[in-house]
Amino acid sequence: MNMVFQINGRDVGIEVSDSELLLDTLRHIGFSSVREGCGVGACGSCTVLVDGKSVSSCLVLTSRCNGSSILTSEGLADDDPVVSQFIKNGAAQCGYCIPGFVMMVSELLSENPIPTEQEIYNHLEGNICRCGSYPEIVQAAMDASKAKQTSKLTC
Amino acid sequence: MRPNVFRPQSLQEACSLLEEHEEALVYGGGTALQILLKQGILVGSSFIDISGIPGLAEISFTDDFLRVGPMVTLRRMERSEEIRELFSLASSAYAKVANPRVRNTATVGGNIAHGDYRLDPPVALLVLGASVELTSRNSIRKVPLEEFFVDFQVTDISAGEIVTAVEIPRSIHLAGSSFVKLSSLSANDWPSASAAVGLMENDNGVHTLRLALGALAATPVMATVDIRNLNLDQTLEASLSKAMELMDPIADVRGSVKYKLRLGRVAVEEAIRSAWKEVPNGR
Amino acid sequence: MGGDLTNLEIENDAAAVGQSWQRSDLEAKVRGTFRYTADLPVPRCLYLGVHRASQPHARILNIDISSALEMPGVVRVVTGADLFGIYGELIYTGPAFADQPPIAIDKVRYVGEPIAVVVATDLITARAAADEVYVEYGELPAVLDVDDAISGSDYVHEHLRPSSVFSDLKHLQGRGETNVNYEYNLTSGDVEKAKANSDKTVSGEFWCPPTSHVAIELFSTTAWVEGNRLEVVTTTQTPSYVRQALASMLDIRLNQVRVRTQPLGGGFGSKMYDRLEPLVAAISWTYKLAVKLEITREETFVLTTRHGVAVSSQMSADSIGMIVSAEADVRYDTGAYADIGPRIASKSGMVACGPYKVANARVRSRCIYTNKTSAGPFRGFGVPQVTWSHESLVDELAREFGEDPAQFRRKNLLREGDVAPMGTVMHSADFVGCMDAVTSAIGWNTPLERARGPWRWGRGVAVGIKAVLTPTISNAVLQLNQDASATLLISTVDMGQGSDTIMAQIVAEILCLGPDQVRVVNPDTDITPYDTITAGSRSTYHTGNAVKKVAERMREKLISIAAQLLGVSETDCKLTNGGVVASSSQKYLSIDEIMQLHFGAIGTTLTTESNFTTEWIPYDKETGQSVKVTEHWFAGAAAVELGVDTRTGRIHIAHLAVAGDVGRAINPALVKQQLEGGAIMGLGHALFDEIVMDHGQMINGTLLDYQLPSVKDLPDRLTPIIIENPHQTGPFGAKGVGETAIIPIAPSIANAVRDAIGIRFTRLPLTPERLLMAMAGEGD
Repeated sequence: MNMVFQINGRDVGIEVSDSELLLDTLRHIGFSSVREGCGVGACGSCTVLVDGKSVSSCLVLTSRCNGSSILTSEGLADDDPVVSQFIKNGAAQCGYCIPGFVMMVSELLSENPIPTEQEIYNHLEGNICRCGSYPEIVQAAMDASKAKQTSKLTC
Repeated sequence: MRPNVFRPQSLQEACSLLEEHEEALVYGGGTALQILLKQGILVGSSFIDISGIPGLAEISFTDDFLRVGPMVTLRRMERSEEIRELFSLASSAYAKVANPRVRNTATVGGNIAHGDYRLDPPVALLVLGASVELTSRNSIRKVPLEEFFVDFQVTDISAGEIVTAVEIPRSIHLAGSSFVKLSSLSANDWPSASAAVGLMENDNGVHTLRLALGALAATPVMATVDIRNLNLDQTLEASLSKAMELMDPIADVRGSVKYKLRLGRVAVEEAIRSAWKEVPNGR
Repeated sequence: MGGDLTNLEIENDAAAVGQSWQRSDLEAKVRGTFRYTADLPVPRCLYLGVHRASQPHARILNIDISSALEMPGVVRVVTGADLFGIYGELIYTGPAFADQPPIAIDKVRYVGEPIAVVVATDLITARAAADEVYVEYGELPAVLDVDDAISGSDYVHEHLRPSSVFSDLKHLQGRGETNVNYEYNLTSGDVEKAKANSDKTVSGEFWCPPTSHVAIELFSTTAWVEGNRLEVVTTTQTPSYVRQALASMLDIRLNQVRVRTQPLGGGFGSKMYDRLEPLVAAISWTYKLAVKLEITREETFVLTTRHGVAVSSQMSADSIGMIVSAEADVRYDTGAYADIGPRIASKSGMVACGPYKVANARVRSRCIYTNKTSAGPFRGFGVPQVTWSHESLVDELAREFGEDPAQFRRKNLLREGDVAPMGTVMHSADFVGCMDAVTSAIGWNTPLERARGPWRWGRGVAVGIKAVLTPTISNAVLQLNQDASATLLISTVDMGQGSDTIMAQIVAEILCLGPDQVRVVNPDTDITPYDTITAGSRSTYHTGNAVKKVAERMREKLISIAAQLLGVSETDCKLTNGGVVASSSQKYLSIDEIMQLHFGAIGTTLTTESNFTTEWIPYDKETGQSVKVTEHWFAGAAAVELGVDTRTGRIHIAHLAVAGDVGRAINPALVKQQLEGGAIMGLGHALFDEIVMDHGQMINGTLLDYQLPSVKDLPDRLTPIIIENPHQTGPFGAKGVGETAIIPIAPSIANAVRDAIGIRFTRLPLTPERLLMAMAGEGD
């Protein structure tokens, strides 16, 4: 079918097969931050936001996203506080899973700007970082929350 | 081979498609279906994607019921403030499923229709006295959830039927409730035992304990316990003995039968103790 | 040009070593723009789908490929017979034994072994057609248990086929009628006598199950033919090995094979030696096709595993609690193919008695074939499994004496200058310092409220020892560019450990450069020089030394050119930030100026190269003794405070402290991350991470069932501690750290559980079920 959606703010029109998965579509058109790690929604490496909501793109039909707005980590602003705080905290080792974590934290902070540590754990429990950068990731999430609050105050 | 996907624009069209294509499966959120497809358990099926049908993703309240459309995501159930206020047991169970991404994708209808014995929401919905609305080309029927789960991965859904709503009655007032999920391996794993408990109250106080168990038998199971005039210890004793009758666990990588029986008791006890705390002035 | 130093504010303050430089690729990794191997541009490819064995041990009677061939999009179907027909015996590869065909030839030896490969125009078709291959099996008795494999008369291989890749394994024997492909023996002193004279003896039967690495990046290999050359882009930790293995298999020159890899999305030992490469290369070369194989998570579970290991061990101490003897019989379940198992059996066998002064020791460590997925290297290289044994035993021994387990260890631990049971001396391995740091961190000597409601609390400690792989080879080539930027060519693979960053730091330290001035080129065997492997925590020391040397040579070369240009002697010159200064005259030339004056052109490069090779004295094949069995040692320790929920059996870790003696931390932030990451992976192995098998089939082979630690499984507190006892020949005193943390984790947790509930567990993982049933008196 022919469909149109927005990816990182740009309209994209494509033809997809009925059963194509969003992970494959996005990779095919060059969004390589979206990565397969398990294929069953259990690792989080293929996380993207569809209309602001996190999904495992390995389990989502592309055709379902007709008219939707999709955000991948490549689409975050240069000064995005989540990105900045991941960098500041050195929250990556091999880095493969990190865009998935970045997107999960972005979703969390948009829903819950000042999460508790437990709420961060609850939101990230379905993402696997095999290198074990969890301490830096959690710190980055907390610092991003603070940075967002500060920038709000100064606006 | 990859499946065909039909995209009906009305319920009637969907029902007709379902009648025409016997092997077709209703595609709600698709999380479970995609996994089964990748694992080669589903082969060559057609999907009927019901996301284009208007009105299936609504949460509405009537005087008697909370009515939830099949395409409402699990995450909406978790995050809806109205639901949390009226049916906190449901909110807390929906919040425990898998991870936020799966909950953003998976739907209330698909979750029930999957019929898996380990899922969290059915356990809470059983305690809440929920029923399932099933619609086919020629009929609509309501099945109490207690009768809905028939056997291992088998539900009461007949050929040609689509889950069109889950309804939770407003008549069952719970003075206290709790959902407990115990996993045996990593913290984010499927449960090895789960229990939901609701304490029903009338003017004379708490009289009935509603108890449902997940992951402890081939289907989610439930029972009620008459707890009039019972204190906490007596309630625990009566409920645990009832729970033991319900449990018939399946051994797997998450534990032996013996272990799950033990864990089931812990889940039940913890859920009761926690629900009990919510009842004003103890009894 | 030039000038007086006094007029230029040049300070040599840009020290790089010891600084926590930001990971060089961090921003790209966070933004998601970083390119992994599967993202590299390759020619238009055909895709491969693999039909895998459903039987653990069977003759292949017939392969029916007709349905698969009929599917639209299928180009051809390749079987083992096809490739054997062309390459014959060369088709068998492997680092220790040339025993592994890339695709089953006449029989299958494990569930998941490739039997037929579909070449198709797209991935979905390739995989679907692979399902349409039908195999008729002639079932053979399967060897599924490591001890049955020793005693039984069913054999996985008719005869053993030693390889000749690595010099430390050249003594391997070709034999028949056995499943034991290698046996390492260590003896020192007189164990029987020492035991007879000892005061107390403890013993145990220990088991560590196989586990999966689960690097989140999936394996991917693409190969195509360019003229008379083969190009390979693959996820590998061993590009130099892969080039050699493919050239040997295809019987072509080394320069006809080009192997490239990007930094990996995790390795942990999984992406080593012969994984997808021989299969993909053989198909590409044979049929002159550009082909790509990407496998699913489910397929990675049957590609390689950590060794399941059984250890029967004993330890005895005299009346004052000094360990007098230690014994271990270690059985490595290496699965269907030896891979590097023989080296693992010897390298970990030699430390199976632990980091203790033990005068009388006896170890037999065997590598044993079974009909399971071939086990290979896994972070720790077999040592965590023997540490599970010796750190449990020593704890029990301490308890026998009623002594504090930390104090008991302190009395017995090896110190600087001590000789370990295999005859090699200790240096830069501060076991006591590591142990004291972790016990102090968790408040070992503070009071502990042991019973809190249904919870029982306890503390445990464990110490680990490991030898670095020796002998090995690293090379480096450095180009200094006219604009004072540098390009470093090494074949070390950055897989998250941060080698690209710390190698840049070493170059920067010596050439007085800044963080953005050194670029490390990704491994490409056409460009980057030979390196043994990126594994075993060896890169900081070995590649680090090669890189230090290559940078020093560059400094010498630059100074020599500058001295001529400045008309002074070389000894008068000093390299400082951005240029060379003559001490006598204070004349200064920038690197830019030196290069322009020297070459008379801009954009020029100056090149140096270096080699760093370690040597050993091979251990005696009867006694395992060697005065230099390794280039250096790793020392680490972990201490933990935890509670056990007596209702559910679940363990809750309040504090886990882990320390490693890294010699010198080139980049402390990255070292801490390695310690943390190793600890978290070790925690998974301790608590729930395992491959569960049933009749040769893996029954938890998806990430829905296979358990890994998530953020919710972390200890309440995790404290990584860097201990620095500079190594005399390490680059700036440094050693590696990738494996140090994982080694003592599981026993430290089991020792704390022992402390909490009084039960000694000898089998991993410590699942709630295992704990609960043991507390109920119904344990296994």
